[in-house]
Amino acid sequence: MVNLNTIAPKNGRSYYIALGLEGSANKLGVGVIKHPILKEQEIGDHSHDCHAEILSNIRDTYTTPPGEGFLPRDTARHHRNWCVRLIKRALKEAKINDPRLDLDVICFTKGPGMGAPLHSVVIAARTCSLLWDIPLVRVNHCVGHIEMGREITKAVNPVVLYVSGGNTQVIAYSENRYRIFGETLDIAIGNCLDRFARTLKIPNAPSPGYNIEQLANKCKNKDQLVELPYTVKGMDLSMSGILAYIDSLAKDLFKGNKKNKILFDTKTGEQKVTVEDLCYSLQENLFAMLVEITERAMAHVNTSQVLIVGGVGCNVRLQEMMAQMCKDRANGQVHATDERFCIDNGVMIAQAGLLQYRMGDVVKDLKETIVTQKFRTDEVYVSWRE
Amino acid sequence: MSQELVDQVSKYLTPAIPIEPISQGAEAVVFTTTIHPYLPTINEKQKFIIKYRPAKRYRHPIIDRSLTKHRTLSESRLLAKLYQIPGIHVPKLIACDPYNGCIWLEFLGEDLPDAFGFSNLKNFLWMHASENQNPYGDIVRETLFKVGEQIGLLHWNDYCHGDLTSSNIVLVKKDEKWEPYLIDFGLGSTSNLVEDKGVDLYVLERAILSTHSSYAEKYNEWLIEGFSEVYKSNGKQGAKKLNEVMKRFGEVRLRGRKRSMLG
Repeated sequence: MVNLNTIAPKNGRSYYIALGLEGSANKLGVGVIKHPILKEQEIGDHSHDCHAEILSNIRDTYTTPPGEGFLPRDTARHHRNWCVRLIKRALKEAKINDPRLDLDVICFTKGPGMGAPLHSVVIAARTCSLLWDIPLVRVNHCVGHIEMGREITKAVNPVVLYVSGGNTQVIAYSENRYRIFGETLDIAIGNCLDRFARTLKIPNAPSPGYNIEQLANKCKNKDQLVELPYTVKGMDLSMSGILAYIDSLAKDLFKGNKKNKILFDTKTGEQKVTVEDLCYSLQENLFAMLVEITERAMAHVNTSQVLIVGGVGCNVRLQEMMAQMCKDRANGQVHATDERFCIDNGVMIAQAGLLQYRMGDVVKDLKETIVTQKFRTDEVYVSWRE
Repeated sequence: MSQELVDQVSKYLTPAIPIEPISQGAEAVVFTTTIHPYLPTINEKQKFIIKYRPAKRYRHPIIDRSLTKHRTLSESRLLAKLYQIPGIHVPKLIACDPYNGCIWLEFLGEDLPDAFGFSNLKNFLWMHASENQNPYGDIVRETLFKVGEQIGLLHWNDYCHGDLTSSNIVLVKKDEKWEPYLIDFGLGSTSNLVEDKGVDLYVLERAILSTHSSYAEKYNEWLIEGFSEVYKSNGKQGAKKLNEVMKRFGEVRLRGRKRSMLG
């Protein structure tokens, strides 16, 4: 039996407040979340419906010039520079005057992610914890995404498609773990899109994937498709080959290599394919693969709900395709969130961390606050679900 | 299953062929029928499987057409070849229409007692993991060993399944014992690469781990025992090949992303 109310909120309040700090990649997020104490949470699994109130959700993204990716060292410096300012702003927005009294817990990302940025954020978390004498909770980034998605959409037990710059996983809950059914064998989908955006030298703001989506929308010839490898391996997929192939096409296109029969007409030398067509084909191909493995997982665990989380989850075309797939399966439902909760943010860390805190999982010694680049979703014991 | 889909299939098959939907997998819907596509009806109780791959509207028509055709055709080819190999149990292929994504197969399996559903390996294991049953009983062990043998035979003959899960293995009762049949070769291939075999085993291991978590360790051990047996019975060369496959299997297992590197 799950009882989420074993640990009473500070100072006899009737609600919990948690601060979440996230900085596993190029986004620095700070969020404050509030959970009221609910009677029904003492007797069963209501972790998807905490009546959470988001008091503040602030994010700052480290953006690099077109054609460049973000390097760990520079990203860490960005996080160090902005962390204090963001925490102050978040607390102000949440109307927390004295964090010593008002905060129950501080949650930070333990992993997975880039080492250096994770480090700069955890230092801020430790400092705040010592300064205000507040316990710490370490959160798995992926679990943060899942819990936020569940809270926002109220999906009880969905198959989760987690797609972002560093992760591509199909996840389903079973016996206190979020188990990974399928995942990428090499690079993540967001990484594939980002790197293609770099080849095309399109802007990294607001995000490379978004700009590819916009280019794909402008594709004039949607009946035609540039044929790309379709690499689904059982429940898993592989994307590095697709990237290498489409990269070489893009390079030939920019060089005007007339020998390439796919891009140019052999007789007239006329250009047949545009950058927009490439973007469109890439998206169609990659997303078809994603939806296919999600459908496979749904069939396997026999559920009809899908939850899309992670940065790539904002992509409207992906949501459309998923909705179509669910419509064709009986009673299928798609749950997706918008940019505020899809893209890395602090609130999701606070949400998952607060659930952990309410189940009694806190850091007892600062020694336990190490961060790690490798931290699989299925390593976390999910005590707050049945 | 949506009514729309059933109507679509009925229209394609014409009303002369009555169909009953039995399951919706990820990429195909499966129906039973009593009509043989080209032979006269011998007895009223005969049953056949129709596996239909509906057009997936979510993906681009070009991708969809090429995948449907490719998968239906390759599945039919594989089934036809595998059926002729002694020892391997697969359903018999009756007819195939790759452009419409439709194949006819012989019907296999039965219903398990106490409403545990159709007799695939998944339901079988769940049945034995339920109350008053022994999840580690001899019957489970023997069946899993045989499943392992089937996969061993498949790999020994240089075929790969591509999507080994406990729901893709059907158990047929013969003299109070269960004979496993491999079904759904939609992602199958012929391959003599250790890589593909390693991935095949890894997919199965993970599928068992995710659907039968509590007993997975022992289950996987028994599967591998059966698998190894086939290779070992082929003398020195078999042992050598087994070694290669198992080595690669171990490597594939380490390959997943973000695994903590302990030890």
